[in-house]
Amino acid sequence: MSKTIALLGQPNSGKSTLFNGLTGSHQHVGNWPGKTVEKMEGFFTYNNEEYTIVDLPGTYSLSANSDEEIVTRDYLAEGNADLVCLLSDASQLERSLFMLTDFIGLKVPAVLLLNLMDVAEGMGKRINATAIEAKLGIPVIPFVASDKSDYPKLIQALSKAFEEKKVLNEALFESYYANETDIPYYAVKEIVADCQTQFRSDFWLAIKCIENDQNILNYCKEHLSKEKYAALSALITDVKRGNLHTGNCKFAIIHDLLKSAVNAPATKPTLSKFDRIATSRLWGKPIAIGVMILAFIVAMIFAAPIMAVSGLVPTLLSGPLHNLLTSIGAPSMLDSLISTLLPNIISFAISMCGFVMGVTFVFSIIEEVGYMARMAFVFDSLMAKLGLQGKSICAFLMGFGCTIGGAAGTRIIDNWGQRLLAIILVWAVPCAATWAVMPTLAQIFFGSGAIFVLPGILLFMFIVMAITAKVFGNKLAPKEARAGMIMELPPYHKPKWGHIFRTTFSKGLDIFLRALKVITVVSLIFWLLSYTESGNVENSIIYKIGIAIEPFTRIFGLGWQTFMAFIASAISKEAVLGVLSALYSGSGDVFSSTFGTASTTANLNEILPQAISKAEALAFIFATTFNVPCLVALAATHRECHSLKWTLKIVGYYMVMALLLSFVMYHIGLVVF
Amino acid sequence: MKLYEAQPGYSGEITSIDGDTRFLSRITSIGLTEGCKIEIMQNEKKQPVLLLSRDSLIAVNRKDCERIEVK
Repeated sequence: MSKTIALLGQPNSGKSTLFNGLTGSHQHVGNWPGKTVEKMEGFFTYNNEEYTIVDLPGTYSLSANSDEEIVTRDYLAEGNADLVCLLSDASQLERSLFMLTDFIGLKVPAVLLLNLMDVAEGMGKRINATAIEAKLGIPVIPFVASDKSDYPKLIQALSKAFEEKKVLNEALFESYYANETDIPYYAVKEIVADCQTQFRSDFWLAIKCIENDQNILNYCKEHLSKEKYAALSALITDVKRGNLHTGNCKFAIIHDLLKSAVNAPATKPTLSKFDRIATSRLWGKPIAIGVMILAFIVAMIFAAPIMAVSGLVPTLLSGPLHNLLTSIGAPSMLDSLISTLLPNIISFAISMCGFVMGVTFVFSIIEEVGYMARMAFVFDSLMAKLGLQGKSICAFLMGFGCTIGGAAGTRIIDNWGQRLLAIILVWAVPCAATWAVMPTLAQIFFGSGAIFVLPGILLFMFIVMAITAKVFGNKLAPKEARAGMIMELPPYHKPKWGHIFRTTFSKGLDIFLRALKVITVVSLIFWLLSYTESGNVENSIIYKIGIAIEPFTRIFGLGWQTFMAFIASAISKEAVLGVLSALYSGSGDVFSSTFGTASTTANLNEILPQAISKAEALAFIFATTFNVPCLVALAATHRECHSLKWTLKIVGYYMVMALLLSFVMYHIGLVVF
Repeated sequence: MKLYEAQPGYSGEITSIDGDTRFLSRITSIGLTEGCKIEIMQNEKKQPVLLLSRDSLIAVNRKDCERIEVK
């Protein structure tokens, strides 16, 4: 049976750095049962003993303000963790020890980590961990999570803590609450003593009741006699603004813990010159956008070698495989499967891997340095309109480059519902490939009129995002859960390159394997539908379906050819021209043009305007733009949301949305042209 | 005065905080309590107010600043 350590700490306390540092690539990501909150688990072995690390969501307290907080405290209250590792930011100890004080009363063995000791020392702060340990009665460990050499010491300390099983003794801190005259601490405690459990003391329950925590009050209602609950209710109604009183007690505890244990120079931190500009109303946004453009370029440079390999795979493998299979007389179906499909699947998965790693790399730098919080700050009011945090702007800006990057970029959002909403919204942002293909198409059909199509797409991007935020926003970012920004802007740190590279690469293989799965399944389905032995499209299943449902697709303004190209655009946006070319000139089959092995015919701009009306073309351009971005983006989305249900929901939503837009555009086109 | 009226350079302490349980819990957990010392670092229109408290740089959106009284 493995031992479970839960990591508990406020945002910016270095929790994910510690998690990655302890577990490396031995991680498992899932969801907490019944909640849209991400569950991160990892493993490591020490002295032949297996340890499970659970990375609890980063929250500021253990109240019941969000699913994240409820998941966290329920997990602890059920005694799931054998040891809790509390993290605090040593450079801002007073504020970041709040989580510790909110934890007192949960009867689980714990250790306190004073993380970011290097930063604290850099500020001239001297912290006496032994003195704090003496007052707390649990191990207190000074630590630097981004420094690999600190880990052996930590793991030793953790394994020792498992033997000693030291639990915070709430009796030491009771007087603070008892002496606060505005709260009836003892009276409440006496009542709730009836429903305390092995892991959740009457002390903890009493404080939560005084804080008017509805979740806990409901729990008490279920577990107390009617009379006792009535007495409790009466006591609680008399308490006004209980949080402020308990807050004062908590900070008084912290004050006494740190008294004579921390030696800090009298210098006061100021807003640096850069910060003054980076958070200013005038320059904050341009700087943030500039940083994101730079980040995109760096991500591309990082990904370039990997992308180059992925581009080579089909070229290097397809020909030889084809020759080999022909020489041994393999049936042409098998040939197509192995020599065309297989190399492309591998190529797609490698390129996704490259891009996600590139984005992870640059975002880790921005986050680690501390600039991410500034971006969140300047874009807060704008993103709030979509029900999102300011940080999500990074994902959208990344999305203009590549949807995969956008989806991977949502990882910086610490609220699961909002993160899923951001992933969904990123799909509405046309990526670089779309911005390259659509002008070409528009040019072919509308000549100089094409200049109106691009602003039109941009306009509709905002409209689609607004609609989508409405459709999914109520569930994923409920109005009552939306709150204005109250956050800490961490001080700037120098990035720890070793840590950033380790984080980036340890994810690489995992990304590749997950991508491979989704890409294989979807590619295989598309291959089965579009494969023909003769290369004649009329023999494919997709053609038969296309013809059969053409009366239906005509409602949306699409003929069977354009509808097929629309379907192919969900695999790859670059495929659109090739597929149209294949269908209208008979120059290749749908499958190989979608997977990029067939070339586009040169006289496309003569054939297409003759075959497709302007209204249909307009409908088609909008339909493909807002269709599923591409197969790899779909795989990336599945990887980010770990939910097949949500992935399918998103796919379905965008297909319907694209066809609705197609319908609208077609009818506008009929009037205009 | 209200927190959003305090100009950069202002230093003083929070005299009262008002609001629902949820807000009180959030504002307390970031370290802002009645009686705690603060210094305003930046206060521009349509942006959260930036202040320094307990050695931390904290952003509080304007609407919530209306519920915080400083002296």
